[in-house]
Amino acid sequence: MTYLFFPGCAYHASAGYKESTEAVCREIGIDLKAIPDWNCCGATVFMGMDMDEAALLTGRIFALAEKTGNHDIVTGCNACFTTLRKFEKKLKEDQALQQTINHKLASCGLGIKKISRVRHLLDVFVNDVPDSAWEHGRKNSVDSIRAGGYYGCQLTRPEGELSHPEQPDILEQFISRLGFAPVDHSAKTMCCGASHAVPYKKQSGKLIKRIIKGISLKEADVVTTICPLCQFNLDNGQSGLPKGGRLPVLFFTQLAGISLGIPFSDLGLDKLLIPFKGVLKHRR
Amino acid sequence: MMTMDQKTFKRLFFEKKNGRSILKCIQCGTCSGSCPFGNDMDHAPRELFQLIRDGEMEEVLRSNTPWYCVSCYQCMTRCPKEIAVTDLMYTLKEMAVKNGFAPSHKMPDLYKSFSQTVKRFGRVTESLVMAGYGIKHPLDAMGALPLAVKLMFRKRFEVLPQKIGQPEKMKPFLTAGVEKEALE
Ligand code: SF4
Ligand code: SF4
Repeated sequence: MTYLFFPGCAYHASAGYKESTEAVCREIGIDLKAIPDWNCCGATVFMGMDMDEAALLTGRIFALAEKTGNHDIVTGCNACFTTLRKFEKKLKEDQALQQTINHKLASCGLGIKKISRVRHLLDVFVNDVPDSAWEHGRKNSVDSIRAGGYYGCQLTRPEGELSHPEQPDILEQFISRLGFAPVDHSAKTMCCGASHAVPYKKQSGKLIKRIIKGISLKEADVVTTICPLCQFNLDNGQSGLPKGGRLPVLFFTQLAGISLGIPFSDLGLDKLLIPFKGVLKHRR
Repeated sequence: MMTMDQKTFKRLFFEKKNGRSILKCIQCGTCSGSCPFGNDMDHAPRELFQLIRDGEMEEVLRSNTPWYCVSCYQCMTRCPKEIAVTDLMYTLKEMAVKNGFAPSHKMPDLYKSFSQTVKRFGRVTESLVMAGYGIKHPLDAMGALPLAVKLMFRKRFEVLPQKIGQPEKMKPFLTAGVEKEALE
């Protein structure tokens, strides 16, 4: 299975997202080809500064994707996913906008005719990879480890095509498929504060504590996220909590790697701020 | 810098920017009650929309509300009248920045640093965005130093900018040849 991959700017320096994604994809036979010369999607920032520039940034990405032959675009970042998906829709619906963008793209030898579909890597893992690949691939027995899935706010909103916007379950499905024990909790789609953690640290800190509290209450051993920014905020945002009360925050790709028996060193687990190491021992 | 009167801003918001949709608002407060930053906003969305209808555009554009909006889409998902609250917040942010109403808030400085990094390199590198923002808000930047050290130990601190093949082309691509009305 080959996909066009949009890594996004936060992918490389995140806590092992890149390492674990690559290792797991290799193991299950997914080929992620980065969109050549991809640029930043503009995130929510450009939409709030200049809508035209925001459309141009995403337009360039769709054009580069089209040049390689219109495979689905897959990304592992919620903000990239929502931004790209938003413009996928806008560009499809608004011919005048498409024309304006094409006019500018032409100056770089690019253009858009047919717009690729944007998907999240989690969607590919759950809906394209057969269940058996995960189930038969299990090497580590992890059924005693309780994992709280954290979706963050943007994956399922606003329209909720992928899973229910308020009570999604796609991540829990995946956690079970890997053999971990999913826990149900009340903070699945609560916002982590995203980049507000920089200028509004105190206010964002409250959100993060609320999320961790909600997951801890259900006696989870780990949190699992599907977005580099969520992972960063939840991992870093627990620094004020007592050591015993902190939960390691792993990417869903790292959970997958652990289940598939991929060595920890290939999953970038040493890059987490709150270490995972103790959990396996503690639960055995 | 008040270049326009409140009426003109209201008309702009209503006519050019799809703001008319707030006429459907029934003031139920679902948006404000759902908003993760509702308590930190000068006027949570329900109240903000009433202020706009009352023509209090200067209060609206100067308020911290759009800047506290984190684009979580919770309000949009729940609004019984299907008002695109988040999108309207984008509109207000854009109007506030372009007409000089936002200088007292921190978030626009982070936005500026982010967008300048993108225009210069085509991609974003966290440390550069923080550096640009930190010049204006040194306390925040210093507060982030212990974290920077932790990230360095984990080989996650990027100093060199990530970039596209021909970064010098990004800025002209985004900005050249577009007639920008001061208003929009
Ligand atoms: S949820 Fe919708 S209808 Fe209710 S106050 Fe907010 S914008 Fe108005
Ligand atoms: S999208 Fe903005 S206004 Fe709406 S709930 Fe989220 S932070 Fe609040």
